[in-house]
Amino acid sequence: MNPRIIRANLVVKLKSFYRERSAMFFTLAFPIILILVFGTIFMSEDNVAYHLCVQDLDQTNSSQQSVKTLEINGKFKITKVDPAVNATQYVRDNKVNLVLVIPKGYEKLLMQRMMLNDFTTSVTLTYIYDPSSSSVTTKMEILNAVLAGVNQEMSGKPPFLRSVVRSILTRKYRFIEFFIPGIIAMSVMTMTLFGTVDSDTELRQKGVIRKLSTTPITHTDWILSNILHHFILAVISTIAMLLASYAVFSVTLHIDAWLLAFIMLDVVTFVGIGMILTRFVKEAQSAAAAANSISFPMMFLSGSFFPIELMPGFLQNFAKMLPLYYVNEGLRASMVFVDNMAALKDSAVIGVFAAVVFILGTIATKWEETA
Amino acid sequence: MTSPAEHVIEVEHLTKRYGALLAVDGISFTVRKGEVFAFLGPNGAGKTTTVEIIETIRTPTSGNVRLLGMDVTKRKRDIVPRIGVLPQGFSSFDRITVRETLQYYSRLFSCRNTDIDGLIGLVNLRDKSQEQYKNLSGGLKQRLGIAIALVNDPEVVFLDEPTTGLDPVARHEVWDVMQGLKEKGKSVFLTTHYMEEAELLADAVAIISKGRIIATGSPRELIESNAKCLLLTLQSIDGKVFEIVRNMGFEPVLDKHRNIKIGIAQTDDVLRILNAIKDAGASFVNLDVRKPNLEEVFLQLTGEALREGPPEMVVK
Repeated sequence: MNPRIIRANLVVKLKSFYRERSAMFFTLAFPIILILVFGTIFMSEDNVAYHLCVQDLDQTNSSQQSVKTLEINGKFKITKVDPAVNATQYVRDNKVNLVLVIPKGYEKLLMQRMMLNDFTTSVTLTYIYDPSSSSVTTKMEILNAVLAGVNQEMSGKPPFLRSVVRSILTRKYRFIEFFIPGIIAMSVMTMTLFGTVDSDTELRQKGVIRKLSTTPITHTDWILSNILHHFILAVISTIAMLLASYAVFSVTLHIDAWLLAFIMLDVVTFVGIGMILTRFVKEAQSAAAAANSISFPMMFLSGSFFPIELMPGFLQNFAKMLPLYYVNEGLRASMVFVDNMAALKDSAVIGVFAAVVFILGTIATKWEETA
Repeated sequence: MTSPAEHVIEVEHLTKRYGALLAVDGISFTVRKGEVFAFLGPNGAGKTTTVEIIETIRTPTSGNVRLLGMDVTKRKRDIVPRIGVLPQGFSSFDRITVRETLQYYSRLFSCRNTDIDGLIGLVNLRDKSQEQYKNLSGGLKQRLGIAIALVNDPEVVFLDEPTTGLDPVARHEVWDVMQGLKEKGKSVFLTTHYMEEAELLADAVAIISKGRIIATGSPRELIESNAKCLLLTLQSIDGKVFEIVRNMGFEPVLDKHRNIKIGIAQTDDVLRILNAIKDAGASFVNLDVRKPNLEEVFLQLTGEALREGPPEMVVK
């Protein structure tokens, strides 16, 4: 290992990156764009109000009052459907996923129950829904909860089971604050993996690597300068992401040495995987496809965009075998939960993984015979 | 006879196999200190494989290769700082300038006193020193490649096809640079398939064909030893001419311009051939009788054209 050589190589890589303005722009801008897009979505989700269509066939004061009740806690924004139309056809024609139908005779049955204490009387509300919609189930569950609340209220008796909410965190966090560490982990992975595979494959194909193999630079010097290069870019990108999320969404996260540690582990892991891939990718054109084959499963299965608890059991087990999962968890542990012990455990797992792929990548890197 | 101490390169029974393919077949040769040694052969003859083994980029299947007295398979670390290499199809970092590229390679060799300006002047790139590599023409890139090969003031310089793909003007510019190396007394191992390059620059030549060395010596020696006969060149568009000559017992070969070249022992053969063509009712456009040059010696020795592809394929 020669620090002068590592520095020389690092300077060339940084200058090349700086002078390739379009690549630099997209490398730094892409994660910020992701944060702005998903941040906007998640910010509205924190105060989400679902769109609900209601067809009131009874058209009485009681039925209209019930519709207003649905709007009170802000969970639903109501659209009234003309009682004359076919509700099923309405769902199809208007691309809505749920219509709540209040039957004719609602007020009469309500009065019968309330005034005459006829507890055998009930009203059946109909949900006409599109099962192909992913959000309709959530919407129906919320609606069921609202109806259960109304039923409880009408019984006139206090509930036996009550619940109280107590967060494990000392302050209230929004979903965007859980999301940012995932985006940092994901964008560092993407930048490092694509950067390593693209650059090394192109340099090998153009014959630069062959030239370098006739100089004193060693694989270790080359790989270490690659790691430093990607680490510097990752830190710059992370700072840009944190500043953008703070400026636009007022996101504040705990920042300490763990952030740098996890960025470094993320970089080493994916430089290692990139080096292994480069061994098998012969053409620059296939480099992006090879990198995609690794990055896409990581991106969607390791909890960067959404919690892995939403996935089926076998996929959750699979996610726990992915290195990015531990970077995500580690970053959240340090930046959100400020849990040093959890961060240490995650760093140990990703550290072992990084060491293994780094060694394999070094072994896989052969300049001489492949030159 | 030179002593081994004067040999910067010693190759003995070198063989390289790629699976079933025998790329280099037990070749042996030596290169003396301070000479320009040209390694000639057509594409696929085994030139680059051989030179890359000597440069320590590839490992031999068998045989011994010593560079500056050191075994290339065991002393790479000691050898690399003492050699300079312009690999075949040389390329560098697109967005790094000429000066920065030379500084970069100088740092790789941990050279503290590299005369970057001197190197830029040597390859005549003063006007382009702040130009990024991607903006250089083919000839300028090759000249930069040669300058890079000299950043560590090497004892042996390897130039692997330094002028392939260049137009004639750019080729002459690179030749001027190589002439400068020769004047500086560098030992140069030149791989080429341009005979005029070898004739102009080389002190010694080895011709390789199908993995085997078929002739060695100085360009003059090679021409003299193989020019016992004259060379008759017929420019013909009549396809029958080649067959007529072959049926007379001669061994005609076609060069890259589709000219028919025939080695003849005596001048009477010229008349015999011309009469036979006339009697057969065939025709030719032009004829030339002279002693062969190095390219024609190669053609006679191997029956193969040195260069493949038409000349218009060269790019600047």
